[in-house]
Amino acid sequence: MTKEVSLEIDLGHLHLKNPIMPASGTFDVRCTLLNENELNRLGAVVVKSIAFKEREGNSEPRTCETDCGLLNAVGVPSKGVEYFIKEELPLLKKANNIIIVSLLGNSVEDFCNLAEYLNKIEEISALEINLSCPNLNNGIPFGVNEDKLYELIFNIKKNTSKPIIAKLSPNVSDIKKMALSVQSAGAEIVTIANTFMGMAIDIDKQLPRLGNNIGGLSGPAIRPIVVRMIWEIAQVIDIPIIGVGGVCCAEDAIEMFLVGASAVQVGSANFSNPYMMLEIITGIKRYLKEQKHNSIQDIIGLIKD
Amino acid sequence: MENPRDINSILTKGKIIEQVNLSNNYHKIKIKAPQIPQEAKPGQFVMLSKWKIKELFLKRPFSFYNIEPNLGTFDILYKNIGKGTQILAESKIGDLVELIGPLGNGFNIPENTRKVAVVARGIGVAPLIPLMLESKKRGIEIYSFLSAQTENLLLCSNKIESISRETFYTTDDGTKGAKGKVTGFLEKILKEIVVDVVYTCGSKRLAKHIRNLQKKYNFLAFVSLEEHMACGIGTCKGCVRKTKYGYKRVCKEGPVFPVEEVIFND
Ligand SMILES: Cc1cc2nc3c(=O)[nH]c(=O)nc-3n(C[C@H](O)[C@H](O)[C@H](O)COP(=O)(O)OP(=O)(O)OC[C@H]3O[C@@H](n4cnc5c(N)ncnc54)[C@H](O)[C@@H]3O)c2cc1C
Ligand SMILES: Cc1cc2nc3c(=O)[nH]c(=O)nc-3n(C[C@H](O)[C@H](O)[C@H](O)COP(=O)(O)O)c2cc1C
Ligand code: FES
Repeated sequence: MTKEVSLEIDLGHLHLKNPIMPASGTFDVRCTLLNENELNRLGAVVVKSIAFKEREGNSEPRTCETDCGLLNAVGVPSKGVEYFIKEELPLLKKANNIIIVSLLGNSVEDFCNLAEYLNKIEEISALEINLSCPNLNNGIPFGVNEDKLYELIFNIKKNTSKPIIAKLSPNVSDIKKMALSVQSAGAEIVTIANTFMGMAIDIDKQLPRLGNNIGGLSGPAIRPIVVRMIWEIAQVIDIPIIGVGGVCCAEDAIEMFLVGASAVQVGSANFSNPYMMLEIITGIKRYLKEQKHNSIQDIIGLIKD
Repeated sequence: MENPRDINSILTKGKIIEQVNLSNNYHKIKIKAPQIPQEAKPGQFVMLSKWKIKELFLKRPFSFYNIEPNLGTFDILYKNIGKGTQILAESKIGDLVELIGPLGNGFNIPENTRKVAVVARGIGVAPLIPLMLESKKRGIEIYSFLSAQTENLLLCSNKIESISRETFYTTDDGTKGAKGKVTGFLEKILKEIVVDVVYTCGSKRLAKHIRNLQKKYNFLAFVSLEEHMACGIGTCKGCVRKTKYGYKRVCKEGPVFPVEEVIFND
């Protein structure tokens, strides 16, 4: 008799039925093509970063396809936290029992206010801290300075009892330092990575292709770099890692598990195929069966130094 | 069960059953995908790919040029301008495409509309054809104003002439119709008759002119906008245009907008 393989996974205190979830900014419960049943098959849902107050985002054009990837300078528009609670949260509750809310702030205080505000909402399972949005013109992102990073996570922790997921910026020379910094500040989970800073030029018009000039690169082009980063930080930290970057099929996700990711987020690939995440879940099960593993846990971090 | 999704938006496969090269880089493709034409309305679009995700990352948006629910088919009129449209141009009868759609809000034909004007340049005429057919069905009189660089880029002129009460052409090089501004002709007509609605697509310059005429002659006017799209369903917030009410997503709140709402700042 063939036993059903298990995709169950623990991320700190979070228990997920499987390790696949959307990446922040690439899933919107208000316009997803997945029905409730399908949404409930995901390991978790992750919402686009929210800010405390409404913000409008960058000027157009906001996206531009490049070879094997997508540049975006959306600039995190947000309707603010109150709108989120009123309009999105009720839909999210029906969608999945694990709700991860991504936070965006301009200052330590900003982040702390948001974290405190959301702390009382029971249905929110964890807070993912967007440390790296490269599209904001207000100085250096938190994610590229290990002391700032420590200070931020440490202070957010003081304002919430929810698990903190630190979503790192890959635009640094040593990602291990950043991962160690958020771990020592009390983060329970690390997400790696947000987009890579990039630029594209229209050579006919001799102008940048994005309204914001520069943007964040996502998609298959960045995946090998992210795989390397997951592998590097898996050697130095003890908290679980969520891998994200260019995953377009089960094999891409499996690569990340093998180098040490406990869960994987699917981002811009959802745009091409709204059912991508469901296909990946099925594909991982098939792989585990073929490889004669009973559980996804068997393959996490198999590839060590 | 109530779902937070648009029930009319679906991911489906379609089959290419006809492929015609109209002129230069302009092609027409007929796709069989029964669910889509059942629900499609003039002005809506599909996200289409005929490539694997690792060949070309995103789907591409195309408007409906012809909708035939009874045959289970729809047509797209497209200009070959880059990687995706090149792959499409090389496709053969029987090839499969992946589709999400129908998407967006189509053209609105207000009740009691008696006369409309349709103003288009180049490939921008594509989404206006089903609108014209629908208007014709409702007994509305159509005045068409078409412009292009040169005569053979005035697409579908026979079809348009057969549906329109009158058709006016302008070309940049004077090979057909008059040289110069198509909106000049529009203004002449507006002086003579009452046009209830003006529809346009494809060119910011045209839309801006129409906005100016609107202030003078007072009619309803709608423009179908284009913007780079990653998802086509409202998720990525990438396809925005500035409007009087802030940024709006072309794929979700559009692609058709009242002309007076759009801010044209260039
Ligand atoms: C709602 C809507 C309806 C459209 N309907 C039609 C139609 O009926 N016929 C037609 O020929 N074209 C139409 N377009 C434009 C069409 O989507 C682009 O020409 C096409 O995406 C080009 O793809 P490519 O890979 O060949 O070009 P590339 O230049 O290689 O494309 C690179 C990227 O730019 C985007 N892009 C390039 N040009 C445009 C453009 N003008 N508008 C939006 N995105 C663009 C592509 O989607 C892609 O992400 C429509 C666009 C929108 C937004
Ligand atoms: C259009 C778009 C919007 C995004 N918005 C956010 C965001 O609001 N917050 C965030 O933390 N990451 C955001 N991201 C980054 C993704 O969550 C993800 O880290 C990145 O795209 C890499 O994954 P991918 O290659 O699978 O897309 C966004 C990415 C894209 C393409
Ligand atoms: S294309 Fe993604 S929101 Fe419009």
